[in-house]
Amino acid sequence: MKIKPFSYFPFFLIAILLCFFQKNVWADTPIIKIEIRNHLFIPSEILIPENTKVKLIINNLDDTDEEFESYELNREKVIIGKRKGIIFIGPLPAGEYPFFGEFFPKTAQGKVIVK
Amino acid sequence: MLLSSVIIILREVLEAALLFSIFIALSRQLGFDFKWVAWSLFLGLIGAMIYGLNIDAVSQWYDGVGQEVTNALMQLGIYLMLLLYMLLLSITLFSTGRPNSINHKKTLKPALVFIMIIVSTLAITREGAEVILYFFSVTRSENHLVAVLTGMTIGGSIGISIGFLFYYFLSSLNFKWSIIIGLSLMIMVAAAMVSQASLLLIQADWLPSQLPLWDTSGWLSERSAIGQLMYALIGYEATPTAIQAGLYLCGFIVPILLILGLKFKYNLYP
Amino acid sequence: MKSIRTFLIIVILSTVTLMAFLSALNGYQDSMAKAEQLFDSELVDKSHLLLQAFLARTLIDNKIDMTSTQPLNATVSENSASLIKDIELENEQMAAENNFFAFQIWHQGNLLLRSSHAPQKAIAHFEKGFNDSNFLNHRWRTYSYYNNTSNLWILTAERTDIRYVLAENIILDSILPVVIMLPLLGILIWTIVSFGLSPLRKLAKELGNKRVDDLSPLSIDEQPIELIQVVNSTNDLLKRLKSSFLREKRFASDAAHELRTPISAIKIHLHNLAAMVPENEHSFLQLKSSVDRMGHLVEQILNLNRTSPDQYISRFNTIDLYKLAQELIIREYPQFNEKNIQLALEGEPCNIEGDPFALEVLLQNLMTNACKYTPDGGSVIVTISEKQTDIQLQIQDSGPGVPKEQYERVFDRFYRLNGDSHDSGTMGCGLGLAIVQQIVELHQAKITLGHSSFSSGLLVNIIFPKEPSARKQSVSLPEVS
Repeated sequence: MKIKPFSYFPFFLIAILLCFFQKNVWADTPIIKIEIRNHLFIPSEILIPENTKVKLIINNLDDTDEEFESYELNREKVIIGKRKGIIFIGPLPAGEYPFFGEFFPKTAQGKVIVK
Repeated sequence: MLLSSVIIILREVLEAALLFSIFIALSRQLGFDFKWVAWSLFLGLIGAMIYGLNIDAVSQWYDGVGQEVTNALMQLGIYLMLLLYMLLLSITLFSTGRPNSINHKKTLKPALVFIMIIVSTLAITREGAEVILYFFSVTRSENHLVAVLTGMTIGGSIGISIGFLFYYFLSSLNFKWSIIIGLSLMIMVAAAMVSQASLLLIQADWLPSQLPLWDTSGWLSERSAIGQLMYALIGYEATPTAIQAGLYLCGFIVPILLILGLKFKYNLYP
Repeated sequence: MKSIRTFLIIVILSTVTLMAFLSALNGYQDSMAKAEQLFDSELVDKSHLLLQAFLARTLIDNKIDMTSTQPLNATVSENSASLIKDIELENEQMAAENNFFAFQIWHQGNLLLRSSHAPQKAIAHFEKGFNDSNFLNHRWRTYSYYNNTSNLWILTAERTDIRYVLAENIILDSILPVVIMLPLLGILIWTIVSFGLSPLRKLAKELGNKRVDDLSPLSIDEQPIELIQVVNSTNDLLKRLKSSFLREKRFASDAAHELRTPISAIKIHLHNLAAMVPENEHSFLQLKSSVDRMGHLVEQILNLNRTSPDQYISRFNTIDLYKLAQELIIREYPQFNEKNIQLALEGEPCNIEGDPFALEVLLQNLMTNACKYTPDGGSVIVTISEKQTDIQLQIQDSGPGVPKEQYERVFDRFYRLNGDSHDSGTMGCGLGLAIVQQIVELHQAKITLGHSSFSSGLLVNIIFPKEPSARKQSVSLPEVS
């Protein structure tokens, strides 16, 4: 089957997008550590600067797995029990971004405050 | 615990159920038998067990973002498979009834069935693994057992019910419309896969992260039931970034262009 | 492929499930929110109560004028030590059982009183209202209450997880029945749908059980209105079918019957003519053979109609098949003798239930066939043997036989092996085996073809059951003779 020239178009679009938004990639990434203990996020409130990408290292000290989930941050990741997980968040505009542990949502709650 | 178990199960089951109902409705229209359903369920459950039990090791890959990368690859795999499926299906449909053309229905049937098995297996593997993890994590404490089991039953039943109703809706349509609607839905599901995969890659820092383009959470929250349905069906995101939106758009446009191109070609050289 | 029943069951069950579960979830959410409110208001009450109790005790102990601006904390910290001890003791007992509630009473940044397990640090913000916070390895719902007059902060907290489990366990009790009911509901829907569709199933069964030749109308009584149109249309169709069927039947047999007389007349005229034409006149011989053939055809058509199961009024008697075969062999012997064919009859006398005329036609047709296709000097064996439950009739010849793939087709009406170009040059119209099969069916017997025991040739094997099952009432069409 012959590929028509216009079907390359989307790939051009991706390439352009990638070039355009490349600038954030090499910036220094602050690291923030969160622990999960007894189905709690400790600390449960974290403060990050505006428009900055941040690396969250989540250390699950419980035996049970937990899923870090935030609709506002668009993040979702399973953190295995007794293991660490890495999640990149941001850059974000100022505001509050609640997150929770989807497996134990009543206790595992917290929020990211962007200032 | 009930509500969260409902949501977790529903989200996973709904995605698989929608995919299955589209596939089964199309299979029926094409006159395929349903043996592939049993195969995909079987393989998918095995895959889910393997993935769920080894997720610890998988997580450690690529400096701790193995999970995201694996899931994203699975979703991209599903996308490519769906793309291929749609193309083969279009060839089948455009070529039937034309003089001097081979009966593509027969020749392409094994390929179509194979793709359906692969896609369903991948989908069940990814979603089943999460359910398995959830189940074994949460039921470790006796306190929540009843609530979680109830929630899983409710979530699973709702997802499967929607799948059934959807299937009967699709198969109540006539051939042309069920194909058109089935294909459109498949395009949306496929585009949603691309969007989810891009999100995972952003989360893993494999794709650059950006400020969100817009925020429609006030209009339709991802937390709401409709938001969840839209997430499963068309990959709705309230705050997408430019890359995500761009990839979603590409994921959406590429199959449409290819199908239209095929139609054009078949109309030119019947 | 589509089943109305499956469709109804699945769609109804899915819809009901969806609705029931969504409303159950809605109810769950509402109830949980209500429970939350209830716990919260309880927390407020507790704070008020704490304040009252604390003030009452300190007032009694120290007669402090609450309105004075004198700092409270000094007095309190000195004088209420015993009180604090008391309360802490009480609390410790409570805490041991259920570590659910914690409080602190603050005055201008000093902790005056706390429950035993409460930390030294403030458990909540000094901001009025509810909040959530983590301490002591748990998540707590906190309430900060500020009393203007005494300048006291009452911070109370309850464990979120326990509150949640308490509330959920109560609400679960109301949701569980909905879930447990579901399989029951499934069975119920299945039963109801099956019951509702039973007239349809009954009608289908009635139609399915109808014999091929039973063209009597279906009963219209007891049919639901939805099916009356179907039944009416079917009956109408059956009626039309019956009349056209009758017409066809009557035409064939009437035509054959009517043809007999002119054919006999032609034969007589031919006989008379024989004296006038020279011997071996080619056209005359051809004419004679054609007329014979026509006569045979007419006879066979009549036989075919006479033995047709849908109009045959059978008169079943006990007949000795062996004896019948013997008689026929004697009658047919001349044509075998003419071709110098060895004819043998093997077996022993055995009785079967059958129609003498039909069986005679059957034997005659088979023997004529065997004679026709066996070359000069060949042999034909007729075997009749009694088995445990059935009686076997075998006729073998040493002719060319029938190719296997033709076994099915030779029973078709007017079908002749190798078309009309019979190498044997024999007379035939292709109805013989069709008639045979009809008679076989009439006797509930089975006919199979195979290789004869000679080097070539056909074996016809017919198995008659000794005790034919209750004879289906042959529905005759009385108008046809």
